[in-house]
Amino acid sequence: MSAVITNEQKIWTNQPVEKKANRLQATKINNKMVNAYWEDLFRAPEEGRLVCWTEGVQLNPILQAADIAWCHGEAAAALLAARKQADEPQKFMEEKGYDRELCSYARTHIGCGVMNQAASPEAQAVMQGTDARSLGSRIPPPDMIISAYPFCSTGQQWDNELYRTFGKKVPIFNMSLNWIWGNKTSAKYMSGPEYRESVAFLKKQLRDCVTFIEGITGKPYDWDRLSDIMGYVKRAAEIRLEAMKLCKAKPSPASFFEWTNSIAPVNFLPGNQEIVDYFIAKKAEIQTRVDAGIGSVPVEKYRLWWDGIMNWNKIGYLSDKFAGYDACMVAGRYTHMAFWQEPQVIDVKDPLDGMAQNYLTCPISISAPQVIEKIIEHCEFYELDGLILHGARTCRAFSYPQYLIADAVGKKLGLPVAMFEGDMVDESYYKDEVVNSRVEAMLEAIEASRARMR
Amino acid sequence: MNAILEKFKQVATKPYESVRAYKEATGVKVIGSFPMHFPAEIAHAAGALPVILQELEAPITSGGGAMYPFFCGYTRSIVDQTTQNELGFLDAIMFADHCVQLLSAADIMRVVRPETKVHFHQMIASLRQEWSLDNSVKTLRALIEDMEEVLGVSVSEDALQNSIRVFNENRRLIRNLYAMRRTGAINIRASQMQHIIKSSMVMNKEEHNALLRELTESVDRTAVSKFKVPLYVSGHLCQAPRPEILDLIEDCGINIIDDDLYHGYRYVSTDIDEGIGDPVVAIAKAYIRKNEVVPCPTRIDPDVEWNEWLLKAVGDCGAKGLIVLLAKFCEPHYFHYPRIKAIFEAGNVPHLLIETEHEGVPMENVRTKVESFAEMIKSQSLAQKY
Repeated sequence: MSAVITNEQKIWTNQPVEKKANRLQATKINNKMVNAYWEDLFRAPEEGRLVCWTEGVQLNPILQAADIAWCHGEAAAALLAARKQADEPQKFMEEKGYDRELCSYARTHIGCGVMNQAASPEAQAVMQGTDARSLGSRIPPPDMIISAYPFCSTGQQWDNELYRTFGKKVPIFNMSLNWIWGNKTSAKYMSGPEYRESVAFLKKQLRDCVTFIEGITGKPYDWDRLSDIMGYVKRAAEIRLEAMKLCKAKPSPASFFEWTNSIAPVNFLPGNQEIVDYFIAKKAEIQTRVDAGIGSVPVEKYRLWWDGIMNWNKIGYLSDKFAGYDACMVAGRYTHMAFWQEPQVIDVKDPLDGMAQNYLTCPISISAPQVIEKIIEHCEFYELDGLILHGARTCRAFSYPQYLIADAVGKKLGLPVAMFEGDMVDESYYKDEVVNSRVEAMLEAIEASRARMR
Repeated sequence: MNAILEKFKQVATKPYESVRAYKEATGVKVIGSFPMHFPAEIAHAAGALPVILQELEAPITSGGGAMYPFFCGYTRSIVDQTTQNELGFLDAIMFADHCVQLLSAADIMRVVRPETKVHFHQMIASLRQEWSLDNSVKTLRALIEDMEEVLGVSVSEDALQNSIRVFNENRRLIRNLYAMRRTGAINIRASQMQHIIKSSMVMNKEEHNALLRELTESVDRTAVSKFKVPLYVSGHLCQAPRPEILDLIEDCGINIIDDDLYHGYRYVSTDIDEGIGDPVVAIAKAYIRKNEVVPCPTRIDPDVEWNEWLLKAVGDCGAKGLIVLLAKFCEPHYFHYPRIKAIFEAGNVPHLLIETEHEGVPMENVRTKVESFAEMIKSQSLAQKY
C-alpha cells in the first residue's frame, strides 16, 4: 500500500488537505495524444504531406480524409501559451507594429507565420537571436489556408493576414459563416428557416472547400473516409457529453479545467479510435469518482460556471486557486457549449449537414438570447451557485455578452457573478489581485444568500 | 454659402435632433443603421428616413455597464445611447455589416431594448468567392422583404431606381466638392467637409441634395494658400473623427486635400449603376465593386491591398504625406496598419499615426506631433528643391 495519502483519503478521514485540484488520471492520455499530434505535424513536410493552416471551426476531419496535415491556429497559440512560449511570436508581432489589443490568438499564430518565413530578409531581421527550434518556428508553413470562422470577423481577417504574411503565394479558401441572429420569431435554436438557410449555405461552401482541396491534392476526395472519421468524432463527442453530465453529482467529479484539458480530441486531434477510447477512459474514471463520492476539488462548497475562453497560461494555476476557495468550476460556455456540442445531428453517411450545424451552433455562432438561454439551462442542470465571467480582453466575440449574462442569471436564477479581465494567450492582461478580490466578494455573496435562506 | 455650411454643422453636431424634428414634421418612419455598407437606398425606397447612427461626444456612463471598455468608441457610444434611451425615435434598426464589434453592440441593444426591432442581414464580407454576388443579391432581397414587413409597405422597382438616382446625385455632388478641394480651387475646411457628409447620413437626401446644389453654386472659390502642406488623412472606418482634430491638423499649416475616412470620401466613393435593369443586382454589384474604389479592411478581398491603394491615392492627389487616424480597438485597422506603415516607409512618403479614443485625445500632444510632422515635410521639400 502506498504511503502517500491522497487528498481523497484525507477528505474521508477529515484530515487537513492541501487545497489542490484533484486531477483526473485520464488527462495524461490527452497530453500524450496532443504531443503525438504536434510531433506528427512537425514531421509532415519531410514525410511529403501537405499542410493546411486553419482557424475557427473544426475542419480537421475534412483535411484528415484527404491526408492533409493541419495546424489549427488557436490550438497552436494555446499550446505556445501553455508551454510559456507565446511571448516570442507576440514580440515579433509587436515589433512589426501589430497592436497588443489585436486578438492574441491571431498575433501569436501570425507570429509563427513570420517565424516560418526564415528565408525572407524580413523574417531574418526579426528572428535574430531566437531559438530556431522553438515550438512556434517548428510549425511547418502552410501549403494552403482555409478560413471558416464563425461570427468573429477578426478570424476571417486573421486568415487573410496570414495569406499576406506568406506573400499571397499560398492558396486560400474563404468560407463565410452566417451569424444566427433570428430576425423572425420563427428563429429558434437549431430550427427555423433562417437557420436552415444558413446550414444549407455553409454545407454548399464545405462541398466547394472539398473541390478546392481536390484541386490542390490532385486526387479525388475520399468521402467514405470522411464518414469513418466523423463516426469516431461523433462517438467521442457523445461520450464526452455523457461524461460531462455525470458532473451533476455532488461533489462534481470533474471540473471545467479538466474539460478544458480535454478540448484537443474534439477540436483538432485526428478522428480515430484513440479519441473515442480517451473519452471512454475519462468517463469511466468520472463514474468511479461519482460512485465513491470523490470530488474534483478537496472540499466542494461552491459550484461555479466559467464563462469565456480559458486563460491558457493559467489552467493549472486557476484550477488550484479555485480548489483553494473550496469552489468547483463545474461547467463553462467554452467547454460545454462547443466542440461537436450537438453530435446527434451528425449523419455519418452524409456528414456535411451535421458538421455545418455544429459549426453554426457553437457559442459564438449563436447570438446573446440563445447563449443566455443555454447558460441558464446549464446553471439549472448542474445546480450552480455562481458564475465567473472571464472577459478575455482580445476576444471580443466571446466577451461581449457577459454583462447580459450577468444580468440574466441574476434576474432569473438569483446567481451572483464575478467578472474580471484576462486573455487567452496574452498573459499580461491577467491581474491576480483583481481576481482574488472579485472571487472572494462573490463567494461572500453566496454565503450571505445561504445565510438568508437559513 | 456660410448659412448652408452652418446648417450642415448644426445637423452634424446634434444629428438626432434633426432626425426627431424631421420625423415630427413629416411623420415618416426612421430606420437606424450602422456603418459601413448598409444599402440605405432600400430604406429610402420604402418611404422611411434612413439614419446612420452616430458616435456622440457624451462620455460613456450607463453603457459602461453593458459593454466592456475594450470595445471601439463607436460601439460603446451606441450601447450607451441605448441604455440612456436616446434612440427611442427609431422605428427599427437594420444593418448588414459583418464586424464583430458592431454585431456585439447590436446584440446588446436588442437585449437591453427588446421593444426595438434590431434586424441583421449579413452582407458577405468575402468578396471574391464564386458565390459572393449571388449571396449579396439574395441577402438584399431578404432585406427588402424584411423592410417591407417592418414598415408595412411595398418597395417597388421604380421606387428603388429612384432612390438610387437620389443617392447617386448626393454622392456626385459631394465628390464634386472633393475634386475642387483637391486642386485648392475652393476653400472648405476638412471639418466642414465632415459636417457635409455626416449630415448626409442623417438627413433626408432630397433636402440634402438641394442644399448641396446651392452650396456648389455659392462656394468660396478663394484659392487655398500654397504655403500650406497638402496632406491625406486615412482611417476612422465607422466613426467621425472629432472635428477639433481635423481643425487642429489644418491649423498646423496643413491642408487636408483628400481622405478615405468613412465620414469622408469613403462614404461617397461609389455610385450604383443606374443602367442595370434590376436595381437589387445593381446595389449588389456596387457593394462588391466599392472595395476596388476605396478598399475597406473589413472586407476580404485578395485582389485589393489597402496599403498599396493608399500609397497611390496619396501620390495621385498631390499630398506630401499621410496622417492615419486610428480609432482605438478597431481590429481591422490594427491588422492593416503595419503594412501601411511599411509601404509608406519603403516609398519614403512621410506618415504619422494618431490613435484616437472616444474619451478624447491629449490635444496639445497631438498638436506638437502634427507641427513637427508638418515642419519635417517642409524641410524635406526645401531640401529636395535646393
